[in-house]
Amino acid sequence: MKIIKQTYQMNSQSLLFILVFAYFLAIVIAPLFTPHDPLQINMNERLLKPSEEHLFGTDHLGRDLFSRILTGGQVTVGTGLLVLIIVLLVGVPLGMVSGFIGGRFDRYFMRIIDSFMAFPDFIIAIVLSGILGPSMLNLIFAIVVAKWGSYARLVRSTVLSEKEKDYVLMAVVNGLSAFQIIRKHLLPHVMGNVLVLATLDFGKIILMIASLSYIGLGAQPPTPEWGAMLNESTPYVQSSPHLMIIPGIAIMCTVLISNLVGDVLRDRFDVKG
Amino acid sequence: MSLLTVRHLHISCRNKPIVKNIDFTVRQGEWFTLIGESGSGKSITASTIGGLLPKEMSIAAGHVLFDNKDITHLSNKEFQKLRGKEISYVFQDYQSSLTPFMKIGKQMDEMIQAHCSLTKNERREIALQALEDVQLPTKRVYNSYPFQLSGGQLQRASIAMAIMLNPKLLIADEPTTALDSITAVHVLEVIANIKEKINCAILFITHDLRLARKYSNTIAVMKQGEIVEAGTKESVIYHPSHPYTKRLLGAVPTIKSSTSPAKLDLILQ
Repeated sequence: MKIIKQTYQMNSQSLLFILVFAYFLAIVIAPLFTPHDPLQINMNERLLKPSEEHLFGTDHLGRDLFSRILTGGQVTVGTGLLVLIIVLLVGVPLGMVSGFIGGRFDRYFMRIIDSFMAFPDFIIAIVLSGILGPSMLNLIFAIVVAKWGSYARLVRSTVLSEKEKDYVLMAVVNGLSAFQIIRKHLLPHVMGNVLVLATLDFGKIILMIASLSYIGLGAQPPTPEWGAMLNESTPYVQSSPHLMIIPGIAIMCTVLISNLVGDVLRDRFDVKG
Repeated sequence: MSLLTVRHLHISCRNKPIVKNIDFTVRQGEWFTLIGESGSGKSITASTIGGLLPKEMSIAAGHVLFDNKDITHLSNKEFQKLRGKEISYVFQDYQSSLTPFMKIGKQMDEMIQAHCSLTKNERREIALQALEDVQLPTKRVYNSYPFQLSGGQLQRASIAMAIMLNPKLLIADEPTTALDSITAVHVLEVIANIKEKINCAILFITHDLRLARKYSNTIAVMKQGEIVEAGTKESVIYHPSHPYTKRLLGAVPTIKSSTSPAKLDLILQ
């Protein structure tokens, strides 16, 4: 009975992960299977309603919306992943080093992080990408700057409490170097929390990319990005609402999925707060 | 021949003296016991030897000589070479003294790698031999995570790690305090056996006189950061001169101060 129950629990959780994996895989490979060229303008077919030929209809320049949604997923989600990876590569090592060294260095470092965290991250991202000028690269930079602090802080606080434990002292008396201790004995401990925060954050990052693109600071036309597509469709909201609804649903699904996965992981790793 | 000499050691914490004028010598292959109540500075003294003093504490005066070298002010890098290879530690808290998500074999392997350049198989041999020395089921423990072992097994595993590279000095900081008395005796026996085998000196820190009595060659009694009495086991236990030592002896359960040495011996055993 117990085995059956365990297998069942494992299966329902694995099922979720398989579905999520499938979703992201679909996003990655979808652009290979677009029925039409997402950039092909065709003024004879503008603002068409959904039909067999154009599954989601066409936009104000006659481009196939279905193809643009598929391609846009790669842009939005791919950029989100890139941002997340850079944030982790910056925030985690800095947090570890700061927590491990401690003392004065740690105090100064925390004040720097505090000054970043004092502003809502959306404001920082808008200001930075506004100053640097609208482009995808600047958008990535802006979001990384806005986000890295919270990871550094999380990692730093975990390391601060972990490094007082005896196993770290033991590693020290066994003659391991600080680098070895950080990498092999503390990093795996920190990664659980970081993973949860990252999956929960992924949805927010997607939203941020879409929002910044929506106000024209991110992806530039004709790049099919979900937020930018929302922006382009605003003048036609009354005549062709599907132009706005469909990219909106795409964004919502991706954010929802990443939040659900984050919740599952949080329960799994038992992270509080 | 003296292996470890501590000379006039003063340690202070933000200008407040913690350890005052400590003087003792541990000879090669000797079991030296440092005994005293909590907060008497025993563990701080032990930390100083391996260069493990907390940041807010510092050596105000004195020297630590190990193997005829002054190791009082070594750099971190030099201490790193010494720790685990020449001087190794066993601590009280066995539950958290091994990294929880790493197999014990992996941790042992990593430690050997940090000190010697050996092949994978040679490292494995050394680790398995050490686990055998502490009477653990070698293969099983080598492939276990710390939470899969019992308290006594864990403590023996950390002893195995400590003695793996044949250190000259094993510092055992209350290794049995968190264990039940039967397991504690077993762990002590393991340490005693290993001492015979690799002929290392042992700096044993405890507050339990009964444990000090059994294996020690030399005993030093510490109180409030000072050594109040030191000498051979016989002189300290049977002919205590300092009032604190007498009180300590008097505090052992069921022993009255009027108890004769022969009777005391019986009870202590």
